[in-house]
Amino acid sequence: MSARPKPTLESVTTISADGSRPFLHPADVQGRLSAWRRWTALVLLAVYVLLPWIPIKGYPAVFLNVMERRFHFFGITLATQDLWLFFFLISGAAFGLFYVASLFGRVWCGWTCPYTVFLEHVYRRVERWIEGDAPARRLLDAAPWSLAKVLKRALKHGIFLVLSALIAHVFLSYFVSIKQLYAWMQGPPSQHLFAFGAVVFLTGALYFAFSWFREQFCIILCPYGRLQSALTDDNTVVIGYDKKRGEPRGKVGTAGAGDCVDCLRCVQVCPTGIDIRNGLQLECIGCSACVDACNDIMAKVGRPAGLVRYSSLNALSGGRTRYIRPRTIAYTVLAVLGLAAFGLSLTTLKPMRVLAKRMPGAPFFTGDGVVRNQFTFRLINKRHEASSYRLDLVQAPEGMRMMGAEDPVKVPPLGEVEKPVIVTIPQSQYTGKTQITILIREQRDRGMAITQKVEFLGPDLRFFQNKPSPPSS
Amino acid sequence: MDAENKSGPELRPHVYDGIQEYDQRLPNWWLFTLYITIVFFIGYWVAYYQFKLIETDETRLNRAIAAIDAARLKQLEAVDDARLWAMSQDPQVVERGKATFMTACVACHGPDLMGKKNNPALPGPSLADQEWKFGHQPTEVLKLVRKGSPDVTKGMPPWEPVLGVSRVIDVTAFILSHHKEGEPFTVAPDAPGTVTKS
Repeated sequence: MSARPKPTLESVTTISADGSRPFLHPADVQGRLSAWRRWTALVLLAVYVLLPWIPIKGYPAVFLNVMERRFHFFGITLATQDLWLFFFLISGAAFGLFYVASLFGRVWCGWTCPYTVFLEHVYRRVERWIEGDAPARRLLDAAPWSLAKVLKRALKHGIFLVLSALIAHVFLSYFVSIKQLYAWMQGPPSQHLFAFGAVVFLTGALYFAFSWFREQFCIILCPYGRLQSALTDDNTVVIGYDKKRGEPRGKVGTAGAGDCVDCLRCVQVCPTGIDIRNGLQLECIGCSACVDACNDIMAKVGRPAGLVRYSSLNALSGGRTRYIRPRTIAYTVLAVLGLAAFGLSLTTLKPMRVLAKRMPGAPFFTGDGVVRNQFTFRLINKRHEASSYRLDLVQAPEGMRMMGAEDPVKVPPLGEVEKPVIVTIPQSQYTGKTQITILIREQRDRGMAITQKVEFLGPDLRFFQNKPSPPSS
Repeated sequence: MDAENKSGPELRPHVYDGIQEYDQRLPNWWLFTLYITIVFFIGYWVAYYQFKLIETDETRLNRAIAAIDAARLKQLEAVDDARLWAMSQDPQVVERGKATFMTACVACHGPDLMGKKNNPALPGPSLADQEWKFGHQPTEVLKLVRKGSPDVTKGMPPWEPVLGVSRVIDVTAFILSHHKEGEPFTVAPDAPGTVTKS
């Protein structure tokens, strides 16, 4: 225990003065908040693992099919062209996160961040199971290499590697589907080098992060953590130590001492190695382990719980927490705006898309007494079933005809077809370039319709009108 | 505070908005990432810029394009007159070709392949009669479908960029299924190379 430095405000506990990294072994903690945290983590883990397995309308619940550029979310299929609406989803979600941070600090980090969920509720559980509780792990770290130590370490790191590979495979399945993943897993890696490389890289990264890097990520690298000081204020509910109640510290029975018995339980259970009694610090990920630890001790010494608790700096210094303040109102408005815009844009999505373009070659043709334009319509079917489309010329000058689309065009599910059509008008009725409108209708009940405007081109009229009339002289 | 800090890290003299900072040593792992980038830079600089051991993006791109071209050429080389005639007898190929024809070619040549011969409003010539303008051999027909008409005033565009090699071959087989090998043919009066009497 002597090697364990006393946490201070000046330095990070897990970085020594010589730059080395004291490895933390947080003590086990039990309590109401820890139990809730474990349940939350289990639900999140189940969601993460199960989503690719649940079929909805023939596709996994979440399937980001990057190879075919179709993105499936709970039965809604988006094409690459629809990705603009993610701007609103992401900005809305980001401001939602800001909103939560301004109200409750790093509650995301301590309770729901995937990094925390994997680290605290998967990897640390395995470590606890194999190497024992915190003092036992510290002893094992210090012990010289023996057969038992080698076996324990090999087993632990073996399981860590398997877990990392599992998480990496689940991650890949979000992009290629379980079916494709299973097919690949049965073939040699040379047939899918990129996917194999991605899984190997991810496995290595996860193994490194959760076996060694751990809290360093939350303290030093995570951008959300770095944003905290800009998002929180004195009214933000964080994990706080009630100085007025706790100080001065002293053993039970010391005259004039506050409620804190200086047992250091809050320091021992902290996954980032801080002393919460030093006040709010950038290392605190809001996991509330110290709250449960302190409540446990307070119950043992017969004092009221809540010496360390969720509270704001204002409330801890005797004031009241103001939940409604300009910051939270602004974040709420921005979050609601973003999510509302996302919801609205989702309703404007059409199950089809049409792209009209002029066929390559000359812009127009003349002959047989007509002026002719050639177009291709790229019909993109975004439904999960085959669809037929009718193309009709609406709003066109007298005498104009469209040919090639007499029959409805069949497009396979989530497929696309290039449909060439030709539009002609007799020379005598041609009065110059004009815009024409083509109506594309889905052949089904309550089918979608899209109008597409194209430019009908022809020769210069002065040159053209002289031609049919015989020479005057 | 000052007495307490004596043993702690050194406080730097500069102050911004009342904020000061300690002079702390960086974590070793952080420095290690810097050393890795230095080593990587030297290795990459030697391999890429000095000894050109790593392909440039340009050569990789050109190689990929060459591979695509080679695959296309290989597919086309496998196709000669005899092979096209044989394909025109294969119901599966013809069915595929028909599907493409009825989507793409039908606009000008009509569903009966007769073009303007049956329906004067259509601009395309008949593909089901024995009169040919740019050659009657299957490979000549294929070339026309792939590259478009040499006569750019007529409006037959190149289809290979739109449909791809396989579907262009299928469509040619479908057209040939309306013909017989060795059947008599005539050359259109406006065909290139035909001398029209003035």
